[in-house]
Amino acid sequence: MMQATLRERQIEQKRIALTGNHAVALAVKMARPEVIAAYPITPQTPVVERLAEYVNNGELDAEFIPVESEHSAMSAVIGASAAGARTFTETSSQGLGHMYENLPIAVGMRLPIVMGVAARTYSAPINVWGDYGDVMSMRELGWIIYIAQTAQEAFDTVVQAYRVAEDARVHLPVVVAYDGFWTSHVLQPLDVPADEEEVLKFAPITRNWVRLDVDNPTQLGAVGTPEWYWEIRWQAVEALRNSAKVIEEVDVEYGRRFGRSYGLVTRYMLEDAEVAVVAYGSIFGLVKKAVDRLRKEGIRAGALRLRVIRPWPTWHLQKYLSHVEKVLVIDRSINHGGPQLGPMAVEVGATLGRVIHCALATVGMRAIDSDMIYEAALKTHKGLWVAGETYTVGLRGGYE
Amino acid sequence: MGRIETVWVGRGGQGIVTATYIIANAAIIDGYYAIANPEFGAERRGAPVKAFLTISDAPIEDQEPIKMPDVAIVFDDKLIDLMRFVLDAVRPGGYIIINSGKPPEEVKKIVSRDDVYIVVLDAIDIARRHVKLDVPNGPLAGAFSKVMGLPKLESIRQAFENQLGKAVEENFAATKEAFETATVIPPARVDPSARPKGVISTTSAFLAGPYEIVEWTAVNKGGVVFPGTSLHYRTGGWRIEKPVIDHAKCIMCRKCWLYCPDDAVIEAWREVEGPRGRKFRMKAIEFDYDFCKGCSVCAEVCPTGAIQMVREI
Ligand code: SF4
Ligand code: SF4
Repeated sequence: MMQATLRERQIEQKRIALTGNHAVALAVKMARPEVIAAYPITPQTPVVERLAEYVNNGELDAEFIPVESEHSAMSAVIGASAAGARTFTETSSQGLGHMYENLPIAVGMRLPIVMGVAARTYSAPINVWGDYGDVMSMRELGWIIYIAQTAQEAFDTVVQAYRVAEDARVHLPVVVAYDGFWTSHVLQPLDVPADEEEVLKFAPITRNWVRLDVDNPTQLGAVGTPEWYWEIRWQAVEALRNSAKVIEEVDVEYGRRFGRSYGLVTRYMLEDAEVAVVAYGSIFGLVKKAVDRLRKEGIRAGALRLRVIRPWPTWHLQKYLSHVEKVLVIDRSINHGGPQLGPMAVEVGATLGRVIHCALATVGMRAIDSDMIYEAALKTHKGLWVAGETYTVGLRGGYE
Repeated sequence: MGRIETVWVGRGGQGIVTATYIIANAAIIDGYYAIANPEFGAERRGAPVKAFLTISDAPIEDQEPIKMPDVAIVFDDKLIDLMRFVLDAVRPGGYIIINSGKPPEEVKKIVSRDDVYIVVLDAIDIARRHVKLDVPNGPLAGAFSKVMGLPKLESIRQAFENQLGKAVEENFAATKEAFETATVIPPARVDPSARPKGVISTTSAFLAGPYEIVEWTAVNKGGVVFPGTSLHYRTGGWRIEKPVIDHAKCIMCRKCWLYCPDDAVIEAWREVEGPRGRKFRMKAIEFDYDFCKGCSVCAEVCPTGAIQMVREI
């Protein structure tokens, strides 16, 4: 985050303190969605509560639909978005699972819905805590997927998400994910625009997506027979692929105006690295701390954070990691039965065209600290851990 | 100033997470960087809770469990033994702030460290008078500000406004009183180069049950749970007050027994002496203090006022 922070700030900011959830709610409010439909679930609940307050006290002029389930939440925002409204919803874990059948519909209909996910693992056993099991289960659906590191970044990314989603070159739904609890419930300082109109100026509602209009009647979501389905769907495939450009463009412009930008990936000391740790979400600060410690001991370590995982940042990973001898991906979700058990490890390996190192950590929000990450990187560096295998950090009786 | 790392321990429902939010928010208002990253255990009233708070003059990107705090804040003096590892981990010359109704010297004995500042205040009493609730977070924030020299009282007031949005004046009055009245016992000796006796391990939440922390190969398949396990959770430790009965006033209507949410009111045989010295047994109301959470529902419903709630911490 630090490296990408630009010096000059053109828009006046004020420093406040919020949890990740409340930072997201504030960003949503400033982006002025017209329809919000959501069902509360831990750890996302404070977002829904805060948005309901905003609507209730008149700070936000939106239709707030207190639906009876997440399936209805996604249905409602699909309907509202299809009618041309700027929309928002948010969920976690089983709530996302309950939305599942509607998620690809938003993609196929090319609706610019923005959704927050306070990432939480899937039951059973019931675990309300954070890992990325829910987010990873969305990878194949066609949504743009951001993973933020901090409350500040979650705020900034929600604003960027509206701009990206509603760009005529994109018109796809976007999910902004961040750690359940470790970001959603951690109070941190953040800078927000002093004048919230600036957000709407940066991301005005374009209303240029395909939508239902009584004056120009159309039908959305019609049948796509075998003669048509693939071509229609392919437009979404290409749009997602090309959205990387738009995401970067929007990020750079956001940086120029608001003073912060992040890129598709965030790099740390990779130039001369012999071992690199790839991670995502709130733990990246700990990864950097571990890298600093390794550097002090003479090991040329570096780190990379995945901020956008759909579209996949192929080119960036190849550019920044190809020269690194050993790449360790710390995955925070289990790719059950996969070639390596970390979902991002499999994808990073495929991108680099070689087997890499993989470790699972923070599953079900198992605690982690920078020492544990340091140990993992050291074992990778020393060759105690073998590429292609899956290791665990913190699992009792696991593979360390 | 550098960096101050603090650990707060208490029980769910005491406002411990809110307390760290308020101090962090106030420190940010003061112009510092701060991060309040509670450890999120079971979201359950009374269950032990641990929260971390770091304040620094530089941005904080590494949010990790604190291992050797500069300050430990204990919301409930009955947690001292259970949380001894936290007190032992405080850096020499650091601070231990404790909410207790006991005399400060007695608290000092229980803490049994002479190389740290021990700060004692009856935060429950202060909170009850000002906020009318058993939430000691406002007073503890006041004691924190007193000994650490930050955040400013006015910033704490502003933070109450941001974080609570209600009962701001009441909470702030409690904070101010604690700021003025907390007892500070300085250390007898400080060897700044010394390391604390232990460190707080990174293991998450509170692995304090009577179970063995076994490996994945030995846990129950599918996470099945067998009956009777709640007997192991002695919820009696959660109490701030305990019910005490005056048998002379009790008419054995059993309303308390009916209403107790924890089956902690029991009918026991009691031996009493009759008028002519004859001993006999009769049924009487007693409490199972291993499981009574001190909710005071029994005292509330008793038609004769036979049950009194008595402070325990
Ligand atoms: S205080 Fe509450 S838990 Fe304890 S005996 Fe009375 S009703 Fe039961
Ligand atoms: S409610 Fe009061 S009078 Fe009735 S049994 Fe309980 S203690 Fe006795």
